[in-house]
Amino acid sequence: MDDLALIRRAQSGDATSFAALLDLYYDTIHRFAWKWCGHAANADDIAQLACMKLANSLAQYRFQAAFTSWLYRLVISCAQDWQRSQQRHAHVELPEDVPAAGQGAAEQSIYLLQLLDQLVKLGEGMKETALLVHGEGLSHAEAGEILGVSESTISWRVHTIRKHLNESEAPAEKRG
Amino acid sequence: MKDQGIENYLENLATPAPDPEARERAKRAALAEFARAQAADNILAFPRQESSDETRLSRESTSYGSASMKRFANRGWYAAAAGIGVLGLGLIWALPNFRKYGQELSHTELPATAQLPERPADAAAGASAPEGARAPEDHDSSSSPAEPLAEPPLPEPPPPELESQPPANATRHFAGDDQGAVDAGRRDAANEAARRRDESGQSEVDARALADSRQRESKSLGALADQAARAPVAPAPPPPQQPAANKGTGSITVTGMRRELEKSKRDKSEAAPVDAITAEDVGQFPDSHIAESLQRIPGVQIAKDEGRDRFEHFEINPVHRVADAPVSTFSADVDTASYSFVRARINEGSLPQNDAVRAEEMINYFDYAWPAASSRETPFEPTVVVGDSPWGKGRKLVHIGIKGYEVDRNEVPDANLVLLLDVSGSMNEPNKLPLVIRSMELLLGSLKPADTVGIVVYAGAAGTVLEPTPVREKDRILEALRSLRPGGSTAGAEGIERAYQLAEAHFRKGGVNRILLCTDGDFNVGIDSTQALKSFVERKREKGVYLSVLGFGQGNYRDELAQALAQNGNGVAAYIDTDKEAQKVLVQEATASLFTIAKDVKLQVEFNPATVSEYRLVGYETRSLEREDFNNDAVDAGDVGAGHTVTAIYEITPAGVTGSVDEPRYEQNRDKDAAKRAAGSRGGRDEYGFLKIRYKLPGERTSRLISEPIPLRTGTQTANVRRDVEFSTAVAGFAQLLSGGKYTGSLTYGDVLEQAQSARGEDRFGYRSEFIDLVRRAQKLGE
Repeated sequence: MDDLALIRRAQSGDATSFAALLDLYYDTIHRFAWKWCGHAANADDIAQLACMKLANSLAQYRFQAAFTSWLYRLVISCAQDWQRSQQRHAHVELPEDVPAAGQGAAEQSIYLLQLLDQLVKLGEGMKETALLVHGEGLSHAEAGEILGVSESTISWRVHTIRKHLNESEAPAEKRG
Repeated sequence: MKDQGIENYLENLATPAPDPEARERAKRAALAEFARAQAADNILAFPRQESSDETRLSRESTSYGSASMKRFANRGWYAAAAGIGVLGLGLIWALPNFRKYGQELSHTELPATAQLPERPADAAAGASAPEGARAPEDHDSSSSPAEPLAEPPLPEPPPPELESQPPANATRHFAGDDQGAVDAGRRDAANEAARRRDESGQSEVDARALADSRQRESKSLGALADQAARAPVAPAPPPPQQPAANKGTGSITVTGMRRELEKSKRDKSEAAPVDAITAEDVGQFPDSHIAESLQRIPGVQIAKDEGRDRFEHFEINPVHRVADAPVSTFSADVDTASYSFVRARINEGSLPQNDAVRAEEMINYFDYAWPAASSRETPFEPTVVVGDSPWGKGRKLVHIGIKGYEVDRNEVPDANLVLLLDVSGSMNEPNKLPLVIRSMELLLGSLKPADTVGIVVYAGAAGTVLEPTPVREKDRILEALRSLRPGGSTAGAEGIERAYQLAEAHFRKGGVNRILLCTDGDFNVGIDSTQALKSFVERKREKGVYLSVLGFGQGNYRDELAQALAQNGNGVAAYIDTDKEAQKVLVQEATASLFTIAKDVKLQVEFNPATVSEYRLVGYETRSLEREDFNNDAVDAGDVGAGHTVTAIYEITPAGVTGSVDEPRYEQNRDKDAAKRAAGSRGGRDEYGFLKIRYKLPGERTSRLISEPIPLRTGTQTANVRRDVEFSTAVAGFAQLLSGGKYTGSLTYGDVLEQAQSARGEDRFGYRSEFIDLVRRAQKLGE
């Protein structure tokens, strides 16, 4: 596969291939980061962290898992590091920070932030599970692999999330 | 948006396109990082490497603007010279920002390191600290190494791209009405966030953020690094040892072999009387686990992992004074899961956790020669044997044994079985799904051709794998079983409901209707709360569909839930760890496991205060009932299958023998009066107590009663019964030793072994020999 060849070349130290790899995957990284934090500028930061971590740890990718799975794990770990670093500073998020651009986007961003907040409150791993399964459309097995838990744990989390969020948010939702 | 549900919302969430500027920035940073990583890979074992890390940090510092420069200038940077001469493996990683805490640090960490006598601090710090701490152009100017943190900050012009941005506090508005304002605001927010992070010591991100400005300086810094490498520093001064958590300021970590050696020496000299251990040491030890290495440090004890298997906690039944509480009530228990679990644990090389040891389940694991009842109407004829207690001088053991009426296999009504199998990824272990499949194959062999078997799986790919199929079409069932694979992609949350639907759709009136749940502890069957699950199972039980639970595997086993569900479902909970166990539960005891001959079996013993002063029930802690529950038919209790044996052992202290609980000082007369009155009542002089058993026949709602006195001297028993009293006593002793030996006095595993060996008997299936082997292993483990 093309991507895999690119990864191999990048692993052997070819900067051009690595740049091409970044071009290919930056959007994925950024999209996930954005959904993870709900904030464009923070997503930029997380994405940059992830790109830099990718530079450092690409050599460790062993082609055992799908590259995207490996990448998601990397982005999640960066996002969590980033989150911890933010929390250590323990600042109060100013409400003006929330909207990113435009009215519609602002409303969406606020709702996303609320949703993310609720997911975090549901427990560890819930947010990541929801983002991977619903946001990225991965299977429970893939999400389990990325998060290092069993597939049934993912199923259980999805079930819990659906129960808690859809009961309060969307009573009319049909079961998927 | 809100009425979409989370799945659709997240799926359709429009993501804003990434800011191209941020994208470029990230790319540049990553490429720089990539180049650096490659360089690090290529230039190994060369002192220069240390310096190049150094260089990187310095470069980063230049890209910060004045605020960050101050911080870098304030930072005590000792590490560079430290690594010189070290094999080039060292990695220096810095989280700077000491501006805020610099003062504090200079009073805490720094003196501690500065006091080390063997360190030529002056030379080292003079050569290294300033160079990292200030702009590269200044590398030749020296500063006092004693107070590098107090060094005045060097002003540095901010890089142009930061400078061009609006001042931080000028654009705190995000109206969204004007694109320019928004952009400015966003940039400002990023800037602001960067600044905040700087202050919190998380400047690593930002330090690398503007990688392009590094490039410009890399050349001069390379030269600088060379110079640093040549600095005349022979012994390496240790870097400041700062835990990363320290006030959120920052830390410098140096790794590598040489560093470890240095550190080991230093740690040990500083650490007395507490020993220290380094990663290098750990690597040298023959230990298989880091915890074992840690245990080499005096005073460090690592408790052995008792597993994450969950058991209901209980307190061992205490000694009761007959004068205070003459009546003991409990429910029958034919489960044997505890014994299998204990066995698996011991065979693995560790003693089980206390709560995993349920004495009654261990005792009832074995089949005893109690005489079976002769009619289905009165399914029990209790056997009561009184003998001396091997572990309490002067005390007696009262054995109460019942054996359920044995139903001929051809008399058993047709069965409608639905197997509810967990096929989640966690079942992918040799002793899980493959064993489940083999067990079910064994079960098929003990079913009648007219019986039907359906298969529902959950947790992986959900759904009905096999509609109820008669056992005479065995091949179809086997094929379905063998096609099962752990894992899968779709979620199956409705597993248990589907299994019950299937069982109800093929309900056999007057027959056996049972769900057989096989799991490794994942009860993600579709009903989340334990309580809801229990009451669901209970409601279905009322409709005539029962549930049995077979547990597999270790590590995640939820015994308490398995027990609770099986109890609510009028079924057995068994734990299957080996093929042999599967054979026992599903072949030899298949009829017993599947066909219930009595429901809600409760036992009650009233002790006679004239002849008994104290009593203690061995086991049945999780099955104890209130005295008043005995006659209340609404209270659920254990069920007994065809041919099941249930054995209960009381240890009693006959009146006149010194007991373990002191007599009351003020109510002695009351107790004596009670004893006197009891002695005058019917049977009061020649009975230890009175046994009552309540049970319901299948399909009946009112209980029936069996009662029998416990005589002071029981009549002569057959040799088999005497032997089995011995053997069950040995098992009871073993169980009590495993759970702490609170009441077993000086009893040892050796005593248990001897007793069990002498009472092994014919042992057709080898279970008793296995028990003896288990005691031997426990004896070794307990030493």
